[in-house]
Amino acid sequence: MTGQAGSGQPAADTFPKLLLHHAEVRPGRPAMREKSYGIWQTWTWKQVADEIHLLACGLAAKGFRRGDRIAIIGDNRPRLYWTMCAAQALGGVPVPLYQDSVAKEMAFVVDHAEVRFAMVEDQEQVDKLIEIRDGCPKLAHVFYDDPRGLRSYTQDFLSDYDSLIAAGRAFDRANPDYLVGEIGRGTGSDTAIICYTSGTTGNPKGVVLTHDNVLITARNAAEMERLTDREAFLAYLPMAWVGDNIFSYAQGYVCGFCVSCPESGATVMDDLRELGPTYFFAPPRIFENILTSVMIRMEDASALKRRLFRHFMGVARRWGIKILNKESVPPGARLVYALGQLLIYGPLKNTLGLSNIRLAYTAGEAIGPDIFDFYRALGINLKQLYGSTEASVFVAIQPDGEVFADTAGRPAKGVEIRIADNGEVLFRGPGVFKEYYKAPEATAETKTPDGWVLTGDAGLFDERGHLKIIDRAKDVGRLINGTMFAPKYIENKLKFFPDIKEAVTFGHERPSVCAFLNIDITAMGSWAERNNVAYGSYQELAAHSRVHEILKGHVESVNRDLARDPLLAGSQIHRFLVLHKELDPDDGELTRTRKVRRRIIAERYGELIEALYAGKDEVLSLVEVTFEDGRKGRLEGRLKIIDVETCPAAGQEDRARQAAA
Amino acid sequence: MNTRMLTGWGFGVPGTIILIGLIFQLVTQVDSTFYFAWGYYFEILIAGLLQGVMYSLVALGFVLIFKASGVFNFAQGSMVLFAALTMVGLMEWGLHWALAFAATGAVMVLLAISIERVVLRPLVNQPHIILFMATIGIFYLLDGIGQTMWGSELKSLDIGIPRNSVEILENVFEGGILINRYDLVVAAIGAVMVAVLAVFFHKTRIGRALRAVADDHQAALSVGIPLKSIWVVVWTVAGLVALVAGIAWGGKLGVQFTLALIALKALPVLILGGLTSIPGAIVGGLIIGAGEQVSEIFLGHFIGSAIQSWFAYVLAMVFLLIRPEGLFGEKIIERV
Amino acid sequence: MTNAPRLFNEVLLEAKNISLFFGGVKALSGVTFDIRKGEIRAIIGPNGAGKTSMLNVINGFYHPQEGTIRYKGEMRRAMRPHRAARQGIARTFQNVALFKGMSTLDNIMTGRLIRMRSNLLFQALYWGPNQREEIKHREFCEQIIDFLEIQAIRKTPVGRLPYGLQKRVELARALAMEPDLLLLDEPMAGMNVEEKEDMCRFVLDVNEQLGTTIALIEHDMGVVMDISDRVVVLDYGRKLADGTPDEVRSDQRVIDAYLGVSH
Repeated sequence: MTGQAGSGQPAADTFPKLLLHHAEVRPGRPAMREKSYGIWQTWTWKQVADEIHLLACGLAAKGFRRGDRIAIIGDNRPRLYWTMCAAQALGGVPVPLYQDSVAKEMAFVVDHAEVRFAMVEDQEQVDKLIEIRDGCPKLAHVFYDDPRGLRSYTQDFLSDYDSLIAAGRAFDRANPDYLVGEIGRGTGSDTAIICYTSGTTGNPKGVVLTHDNVLITARNAAEMERLTDREAFLAYLPMAWVGDNIFSYAQGYVCGFCVSCPESGATVMDDLRELGPTYFFAPPRIFENILTSVMIRMEDASALKRRLFRHFMGVARRWGIKILNKESVPPGARLVYALGQLLIYGPLKNTLGLSNIRLAYTAGEAIGPDIFDFYRALGINLKQLYGSTEASVFVAIQPDGEVFADTAGRPAKGVEIRIADNGEVLFRGPGVFKEYYKAPEATAETKTPDGWVLTGDAGLFDERGHLKIIDRAKDVGRLINGTMFAPKYIENKLKFFPDIKEAVTFGHERPSVCAFLNIDITAMGSWAERNNVAYGSYQELAAHSRVHEILKGHVESVNRDLARDPLLAGSQIHRFLVLHKELDPDDGELTRTRKVRRRIIAERYGELIEALYAGKDEVLSLVEVTFEDGRKGRLEGRLKIIDVETCPAAGQEDRARQAAA
Repeated sequence: MNTRMLTGWGFGVPGTIILIGLIFQLVTQVDSTFYFAWGYYFEILIAGLLQGVMYSLVALGFVLIFKASGVFNFAQGSMVLFAALTMVGLMEWGLHWALAFAATGAVMVLLAISIERVVLRPLVNQPHIILFMATIGIFYLLDGIGQTMWGSELKSLDIGIPRNSVEILENVFEGGILINRYDLVVAAIGAVMVAVLAVFFHKTRIGRALRAVADDHQAALSVGIPLKSIWVVVWTVAGLVALVAGIAWGGKLGVQFTLALIALKALPVLILGGLTSIPGAIVGGLIIGAGEQVSEIFLGHFIGSAIQSWFAYVLAMVFLLIRPEGLFGEKIIERV
Repeated sequence: MTNAPRLFNEVLLEAKNISLFFGGVKALSGVTFDIRKGEIRAIIGPNGAGKTSMLNVINGFYHPQEGTIRYKGEMRRAMRPHRAARQGIARTFQNVALFKGMSTLDNIMTGRLIRMRSNLLFQALYWGPNQREEIKHREFCEQIIDFLEIQAIRKTPVGRLPYGLQKRVELARALAMEPDLLLLDEPMAGMNVEEKEDMCRFVLDVNEQLGTTIALIEHDMGVVMDISDRVVVLDYGRKLADGTPDEVRSDQRVIDAYLGVSH
């Protein structure tokens, strides 16, 4: 097998050493691609190594020294990845920042990490750094990739990429052995990167990861999944996220495969189609969006196509997953599936750019079982993993053949996991971070002296030995009777129904669980259209009794689901209401990443919650809203409260049946 | 998308042909007076397809001008007649057919230039309906000029294409399949012409300029496309296509006034194929040609003959109902 | 942007005493002004002031009954539009005039037609060079696509694009002509704030990086005052004022006729 993951010799314990290794072993193989001016440009490992050599020399010429930090800001661009490696070659530490952060957010990180250098993509980022420079006196050099719009900038700390390379060339001529020496001085225990994670509260924390952390973790996962140097990966995830560092950078360097950068954020789907990656990561949201767009397109297709699609998707859901799991499948079903492959699955995967996928991951939040099954049914090996920045991503991975929609899989290679008494998930392994940068107390709070990391997530091991994540540990509450109440877990189950856009559940220190629901106007609107339900506004549709009927059905099905789990059976939903307005980040009800802000919702809708628990069947709501242009207004509505059937818990049901018998 | 379309047609067309054949064969089981044999069926089908090529030749001229100017050129039929008349006239003067062909070609170029000068140029930026009315004027003008110059009696046009029939596939079907060599040669000429046109419009940038002009005159002018030269080019090409069509039809039916009316047969072809599509004109012609012949012979048994005279129009009407943009036409999707 | 006024000396286009009638209606009467090389020149005025007529005169859609235009030192009475295009005048339209059935890329490529060497009629004969030329022009268009950040809609038929993007494609097509003088007829009309900001940035970038002289009509006074070097104000077909944004802003006649009344 060519270029198996483990073949990197043990001496290559840092990124720069791996780079030299690949430049020697596979100099002509593609290392990086980028689409620019409509054409995919390719760089081989040899070319990349040469470029990084000059780049590192250029940085050295500008005074970059061992231990210096360099901020990396921009969309996924080859030159930004190269700068990471160049900095590491000099024993420095790249600090990637989220490219869409505002200047103020950047100022904190730049200041906190005492960044002296920055490599940024374009004018937009340069402007932000200029804005914050007064507050960050240490920032001495800003380099930029794309000179557009920067011609008239006269600041002396600004220089473009080409001039950096030119400086590197001169430096290299004068000190021909310098860089090789510097690379040789690096060891696996050196810091490789600092990833700042945006905490939900307080300032971001800088997670310090060593070369060993990142590379060993990346290699372990690559070995488990049998990744080779022939993989193709699309680097479109934000560079500041540890996942991008592992997938687009570390695993590329460990395995020697080619990483491609999309043309721009808006073209990712097109680039995906053109590239046909073999290895892919996307958060559940993206898989959901792709599925939605497929469904919408099918609605517009001819009746024949629609019927074919429905029929063969049924076949796929029945047999495709089994075929993917290598279970035994009757030959007839295989034949029909093959026909479906020819007519539906193949062309569909092709239009989605997923034809060549050998391995796709999703993580970050729970993925709807329907969505998950859809991809697996098509024969796409989509798997879930559980990870964190503090672990260099991989904590648990679903092994091939043991893929379930509701688990996060088994511990990754080299990782130990245990569940604390309060239900919190702890892990220990080679990827465990060194420390939070300049925050010893925070480090001590999260990492025990013997190397266990507290994830803050509540979870459990199911009977198959798979890790199941339920909620954030601090969000898990108790009903008055002591039953465990995991709001996010229940809300996710609700949100898996396309009709439900948002859900908020209440139950902590309450007698039972109740919920607010938001309808999804697209899904419900199209239902209304198909069923001739007239409505004039969101509010009107949300108050429609037939809509309530449908939602009631969904809630009851969630209850049936919950009843199956003895731990959670007590937290079934008793009553719910449908909000007359969409929860909105502009009103502070959601975070910008659309996470529910429980406390604020509880404040704004206090009387609704009271009504739910007071047993009323109707309540008048008056709430202040912010319109798109920033004006404020009040929205009034009379909301109906709906009672829901609950199911007996699984165990009880059995007992009840026995009693009946 | 394109490969999928190709496979669709690749399976769909032979499938439909065989299916129709099978249906006819079934009918023989029920009705013993109905005659059906596969060899006969294919013979009629091929005759129909060859006839269809002739329709396509005329339809092509319409498509070219419509593509370039968005104008339905009512005069296309009279251009066919005019070209054929000129050609016959020149040959009557004793010119060799090749020379006469070249000379007629030159006449068609002159015609294109004068139409642009006299009719189109003063009408730049006028609504399409005005231009359409103008082409009706051209129709009568050409008709008149042609007949005044060359007379209105029926003339025969012979450029030496053999007219006998050949038999093929005697081993496969009983009695083999008879094919008219004249039709075959004309079809071949038509195929070459279409290939040339396709290259001209798709592989050269004139295609882009042409579509630009058709789309928006103002915008085309603003990017420096000389509207007038484009029109001359297009009318010239349409004129040459009319010449070829004129020779093909004139050779078959003789040259006379009714030649101008074959333009009417081109209308359903256009509706079927879409007004803007060159391949549409071809496929539309083939479908109508084949459909007409097959239904005339086989359906004629049940509903009486003369189906040929209305079949095309009924088919076109059905098409207008289910797919108004035609098989290959562009669906106009626009945000308002 | 720097606030110090930029200085431009070389006159690129000079309109002298331009008068234009439609029947008895006088669209322009005796308008004189110039456009200097490298500047951003705004033409403002209330509706019906003759702004668009002025642009149409410059690029040859209208032929004025009186007056002359001197462009690149060459005096002429009237110009034909495709000539104007060939001599480096590109424009966009108030209501977007795109080739709606074509893709964004094809639309932009039409801007290259005048830059293509061989004659429209004969180019079919040259195969090899033609192919190479096509590639060269495609490259140029790709740079513009990159410049205006419209990679994602490269292959989309423009008829399906939202209005703001259509305007951007129209600008791209004009830029593909590598014009010396770019006429923009209300480039920001009908756009939301964000789109306007983008468009402003593009206009400035075009002017700065490509060195293109720009004459634009715009209703949004904020935009005009921000980005233009000199402003000419028309009212009922007559020139009311001419000068830097500051001068125009403080001109009493302008305030009376325009700024003060309708805005």
